[in-house]
Amino acid sequence: MIHAEPAEMTRLAQGQGFLSLRGLTRRYDHFTAVDDLNLDVAKGELVAFLGPSGCGKTTSLRMIAGLVPASSGHIVVDGRDLTGVAPYKRDMGLVFQSYALFPHMDIARNVAFGLEMRKVPKAEAAQRVKEAIAMVRLTGREHHRPAQLSGGQQQRVALARALVVRPSILLLDEPLSNLDAKLRDEMRTEIRDIQKRLGITAIFVTHDQMEALTICDKVVVMNHGRLEQVGTPHEIYEHPKTAFVAGFVGRINRLSGRASGGVAQVAGITVSAPGFEGDVDVMVRPHRMVLSTGPAPADAGLHQLSGTVTRATFAGDILEYEVEAAGTLLKTEASTRGGEALLAPGTPVTLSWRPQDTFVYAAS
Amino acid sequence: MDERPVSPALKIAAGLMFLFLLAPLLVVLPISFSGDDFMAFPPSSWSVKWYGAIFANSVMMNAFWISLALAFVVTVLSLGIGLPAAYALVRLKPPGAEALSNLFSAPLLLPTIVLGLALLLVFAPMGLIGSFQGLVAAHLIVTLPYAVRVLSTALANLPLTVEEAAGMLGARPLTVFFRVTLPMMRSGLVSTTALCFLVSFDEVVLSLFMTGPRLQTLPVAMYNHVDQQADPMAAAISVLLVVLTLAVVLVVDRTAGLTRTFVK
Amino acid sequence: MTSLTLCHAEPRRLGPLGTASALLLPIAVVNAIGFLWPVVNLLKMSFREAQASGALGAGYNLDTWTNALTDSFTLELITNSVGVSLLITVLTLIASYPIALYLHRSTGTWRTVLMVLVVAPLLTSAVVRTYGWIAILSDRGLVANALMALGMAEPPRLMFNLTGVVIGLTEILMPYMILALLSGFGRLDPRLEEAALTLGASPLKTFWRVVLPLTAPGMALGGLLCFVLAISSFVTPKLLGGGRVFLLATEIYDQAIVTLNWPLAAALSMIVLVVFGISLTLYARALRRIA
Repeated sequence: MIHAEPAEMTRLAQGQGFLSLRGLTRRYDHFTAVDDLNLDVAKGELVAFLGPSGCGKTTSLRMIAGLVPASSGHIVVDGRDLTGVAPYKRDMGLVFQSYALFPHMDIARNVAFGLEMRKVPKAEAAQRVKEAIAMVRLTGREHHRPAQLSGGQQQRVALARALVVRPSILLLDEPLSNLDAKLRDEMRTEIRDIQKRLGITAIFVTHDQMEALTICDKVVVMNHGRLEQVGTPHEIYEHPKTAFVAGFVGRINRLSGRASGGVAQVAGITVSAPGFEGDVDVMVRPHRMVLSTGPAPADAGLHQLSGTVTRATFAGDILEYEVEAAGTLLKTEASTRGGEALLAPGTPVTLSWRPQDTFVYAAS
Repeated sequence: MDERPVSPALKIAAGLMFLFLLAPLLVVLPISFSGDDFMAFPPSSWSVKWYGAIFANSVMMNAFWISLALAFVVTVLSLGIGLPAAYALVRLKPPGAEALSNLFSAPLLLPTIVLGLALLLVFAPMGLIGSFQGLVAAHLIVTLPYAVRVLSTALANLPLTVEEAAGMLGARPLTVFFRVTLPMMRSGLVSTTALCFLVSFDEVVLSLFMTGPRLQTLPVAMYNHVDQQADPMAAAISVLLVVLTLAVVLVVDRTAGLTRTFVK
Repeated sequence: MTSLTLCHAEPRRLGPLGTASALLLPIAVVNAIGFLWPVVNLLKMSFREAQASGALGAGYNLDTWTNALTDSFTLELITNSVGVSLLITVLTLIASYPIALYLHRSTGTWRTVLMVLVVAPLLTSAVVRTYGWIAILSDRGLVANALMALGMAEPPRLMFNLTGVVIGLTEILMPYMILALLSGFGRLDPRLEEAALTLGASPLKTFWRVVLPLTAPGMALGGLLCFVLAISSFVTPKLLGGGRVFLLATEIYDQAIVTLNWPLAAALSMIVLVVFGISLTLYARALRRIA
């Protein structure tokens, strides 16, 4: 991520990435939906905008699409400043959460619409519509109306309609949230496959961290209109820069401690906290905590806490535990791969985890 | 809502009141087939001579054609003026859109007898009384509010994303309107057309103020006829008008849904 | 910043405000010429002076108003109109309530059929429906003939008097009342009645204590609607009253068309509008009390 000073704007407008956002801001009367967003997306990348509802991810997408005017800042695609350009001249494809298919046109007419607007010759258009419909595996449904198709099929039509015009950028606004769980997984991989095959630059807005982590090259985590962190799924998950990112992407245990001199004291143990002073939040992911009964395995390299099981839940693939340790309730889980039995509440246990799985943040 | 038993007392009361509500329309049908020369119920003999009498009555026939032409012109103008207005109020939301939309529906709040008088006082010095243009203007005052309201509702109920999708695919605003917005408003347009047509075709109070001896609409001609002699010919015309109304209502119900159009 | 010129912006765009103004211009013109101006003119007319010939005096004065408001005929006209309209409103409510309640409880196709039956009269000309009432109420009509067949020598006159006007208008206003009641019945959940019944209330008590209060807003709305429509209705009183029933609306027409006393007609119109305003205020107050 590159932070642009206004003076540098002209130079940056030439574009570091295929798509560059420079200080993109959207203010409403009483709040700022998107605040100074700076981002570079390389050609062919699939980037997720991830965050809770109201974090500004959809507003950002709609500003890129041109459906919401930016209060300030710039949108540059392939060296061309598109800020203020009408949506119909931006040459982007947008897939809506609600699909937004034309209810009065059949599938073929829906897909052909963008080509018609671009005055593509009839024969070529027909060929491209055929290919696009084949690409989303809907051959044979050309003359169905949208209302006759299932949600998943409608979403595939929306995808074909957006892609058939070969847009410079594909924008996807929560495309999977109206589908049921099984279909969602299928469509997720399908979208990823098609995007890779076409090599198209794509932005994928979602509130679902699984979607963002599993199919995207890069994840942009947003909160309260601000950018929290940009990185690969691995970076976001393993090295969350802020407490918000750590808590939003994956589950998390939170412990309060105090830092001084590069280390933090928390729940009676010492963790490394370079650069922190005063109150800190120490976070560890539940499934990175290994639960063991009996005497704790002596391993100087691990952080360890002793506690008692207060709640045990059998969840099929895993066993979920709540452990009270040093006055805090911590969540953890154990695999059932070896046929492990559920521990009874009250069982004394030890939680151990690797130092690199410990995240430290200034207390909020 | 699941099925719940309705008490017999309510059924009987509702049935009787329905009978009362439909009574005038129910008696008109047999009287229209009366063979008597005057109106009496029940008629002493039966015939279709009064239907024939309509077509031989030049006053009624002229009035019918005038009403038809009037309703047609008024409906076309209502759509032509109401649709841009509804689009501006709903989609472009200029400052004061709320107040404007109240102002545009205000003529409906005015009793037609007052509106009719007000128009008479303004149109008479302009020589518009007894003229087709005067009638068109007067009817437009009451049909336009209906048109703007029904079209605004239809427009507001459309998912905006579909229009945005068209824009993203490269369609300019005007193209979006004609290729996407308008076709999706079909049922609202049908309702508006039917409503404006019926309101204009049935309008009698404003027309009474606007018509002169040379130019009468059908309801005015009927009013004058009934005022002088309530013979069975008025029943025959009434039956034809009811059939026309029912036909329009059925068409609307088939294409747009009746309750959606006239309730709320 | 200068290198970031918006080279793709259209050169001659009206802008949203300009476009909106252009689209609203036709309706604004119609509204101004056909509504605002005539209404203002009507108010002004009530302050003009009427001369015997039907011509207007040059200046503005209060003569028409003082004459109208001191004339016992006008005052009787107002009290008559208000009284008759109130009576009609109450009768319409009583006649419409069972239909609305029944409609509210019916479902599916049957409900659609009944709705068509309610709405169809609304879309039928008042002249046609009034004519139907003439057929029923006249001396040789349905009721008179039926009563004579039952042995009554001289059936009561039902037309060309107030009775006929009240009966006809009640029926003609019923669809409005039914629709208004239905719109207010949304809050009437049948489970509430069931709850009352299980709590030991008799059906009659349930109606009085649960159903009626919950439907009060719909009744208020329907009442307002019918009252203002009754007081301004013209065709039915004229045809069923046969010139023997004097109400504000018929008098306005007669003064405007027959007597050509435009200032008086205008003043009477203003009185109708004042009655409208008062009933709206009362309605708003009633609604607040109910809510």
